[in-house]
Amino acid sequence: MNDHYKKLGTLLALILPFALIGKVGYAQWVIGYVYLFLIQGYVAWFLFFRTNQPFFGYSVTMALGAYSTAILTGIYEWPLVLGILAGGVIASAVAMLLFLSTSRARGFYLSMISFLLAIMFPMLIDALRPITGGRNGIYFRGLRDMWSRGGLFALIVGSTVLAVAFLFWLMSTKTGKTFTLIAENDDLAQAVGINTFKYKLLAYGIAGLISGLGGALYVNYIGFISSIDVGVFTTTYITFIPIVGGSQLCYGPILGALIVFLLPDLLVPMERFMDIIFGGVFVAIILLIPGGIAPGLERLVKWAYKRLVRRRHDCIKPETQL
Amino acid sequence: MNLDAGITGIIMGGVLSLPVLGIAVIYGMTGITNFAIGTIGVFCAFMTWTFFSYGTVVGILVGLATSFVIGYVIQWFLLTPLSEKGGDSTLFFIVTICIGLVFTGLTRVLFPRPNISLLLPRMGTVRILGVTTSGLKIFAFFFALSVLFLIRLSEKHTNIGKSWRATSQNLKLAKTVGIDTQHVFAWASSIGCMLSFSGAVFWAALYNVSLMSGWDLTFLGFIIAVVGGIGNIWGGMLSALLMGMVMSYSGHILGGMWQSVVLYFIVILVLIISPRGILGSERSL
Repeated sequence: MNDHYKKLGTLLALILPFALIGKVGYAQWVIGYVYLFLIQGYVAWFLFFRTNQPFFGYSVTMALGAYSTAILTGIYEWPLVLGILAGGVIASAVAMLLFLSTSRARGFYLSMISFLLAIMFPMLIDALRPITGGRNGIYFRGLRDMWSRGGLFALIVGSTVLAVAFLFWLMSTKTGKTFTLIAENDDLAQAVGINTFKYKLLAYGIAGLISGLGGALYVNYIGFISSIDVGVFTTTYITFIPIVGGSQLCYGPILGALIVFLLPDLLVPMERFMDIIFGGVFVAIILLIPGGIAPGLERLVKWAYKRLVRRRHDCIKPETQL
Repeated sequence: MNLDAGITGIIMGGVLSLPVLGIAVIYGMTGITNFAIGTIGVFCAFMTWTFFSYGTVVGILVGLATSFVIGYVIQWFLLTPLSEKGGDSTLFFIVTICIGLVFTGLTRVLFPRPNISLLLPRMGTVRILGVTTSGLKIFAFFFALSVLFLIRLSEKHTNIGKSWRATSQNLKLAKTVGIDTQHVFAWASSIGCMLSFSGAVFWAALYNVSLMSGWDLTFLGFIIAVVGGIGNIWGGMLSALLMGMVMSYSGHILGGMWQSVVLYFIVILVLIISPRGILGSERSL
């Protein structure tokens, strides 16, 4: 299938939950929750797999967006919209700062610096308890005071569609193609005169901005944030989204988010076994379907289609012979 | 107070250096960062606790044997095949985190208590420069030092040690001259898991160990290994002692809440200034 159709299909699939706007309930709440992490999953898809930047600080940028919005609006009484935008800008600035400060490191060490930051950040939130609430967290009404639950759900779905559409558009522009070239061969890109440093900085800035805005939406939707919500496993699960779903296909993160964030919900009756099943399923996916679920599903559909065509052909053949 | 904090820090560093050595041995040999070894170590410490009623030695032997088998099986059946298929560091990060989740889950399901404390012989008290500390802590410190020297000696003077060195330095050549590299990798993983288990046992004897302690051991062990120069066992030991001191002093001066924040901040700073750690080298052993 043409790449354009796949992207269009992905966006159409993403707007399907709009049908649930009027049906306030658990299903709507869960889908909104999954969409909040889908934004982060697409950020990981863009930064980690499209631009090849080994970044593990998604929970940090998300937390920065959430806490900045909650603190600036709740304590310093900034207007809500300004608070949300500030959350995005602060997260973007921190992501770029991290890139600038780690520009001497490469590959594994670069990824580890952001991973260490993801481990440290919840501890910092705990240490700054008088402002952040630490493990007890802070409650935040924000948009929940102004909008109905259905309206807030529509905002989350709409924002996710916008973020994903923007990333698809970006990757189809000249800038996006430069990102791809840098991801595939950094040295070659430099040799043909591309300022790779500038483009990488831009990638971090964009990823930080979207992740921070996603974090700001998170605190508005859930109404609460604590250091536990943005622990090191949050960043790990966000990285799992494109890996499990399939990082090479544009709709991979949707399947990934469904598995990573819906599976624990389905496993609630077997809570004691959750870690074993969760870890086991992921190892099995990585071993048995190395490219992720989406390419595996595509292969399965193609195989089923071929079999169907062959069977129809076999059925028609005797008639033509007659 | 300063001297007390310093000695506590050095001893804490000594205990922490065991999982660090485990990480260093595995990475130095296989090039894989195993994020599951902390949880495997804690799982085996719970196993030791279960068999403690049959005697301390029996309990520890059961834990050692379990950690050896787990390390061997994971490397042989999972990590080496993945490595041969061209798995990169991100893939190993994800896979080993998932293995860690499985062992956290197994610890939760198989053992009746969420946290344990092991009653090892106290070994009296020792007075160093006017500071009194438990004999077990001193034993833990010297045990870690002995393990370090033992690894170094066996690497230089035994056949298996020489095959380790050859494998870590040039995998293709090691295979060409007939070294069973898959076996060497599995041994490295087993030794790494046994070292992590030793760290977890001392931790359980000096403080206590809970379901999530495995992750603390992994992350602490990992950052210390990274600061020392991952794969470099001398760097790992030096870094463990330094980081133990940092944790102890920051805890005394700023309070427990800031202890880990300061530690991670310093680690990040070290990596920004010297991206390959204090003693450098990616795969040296």
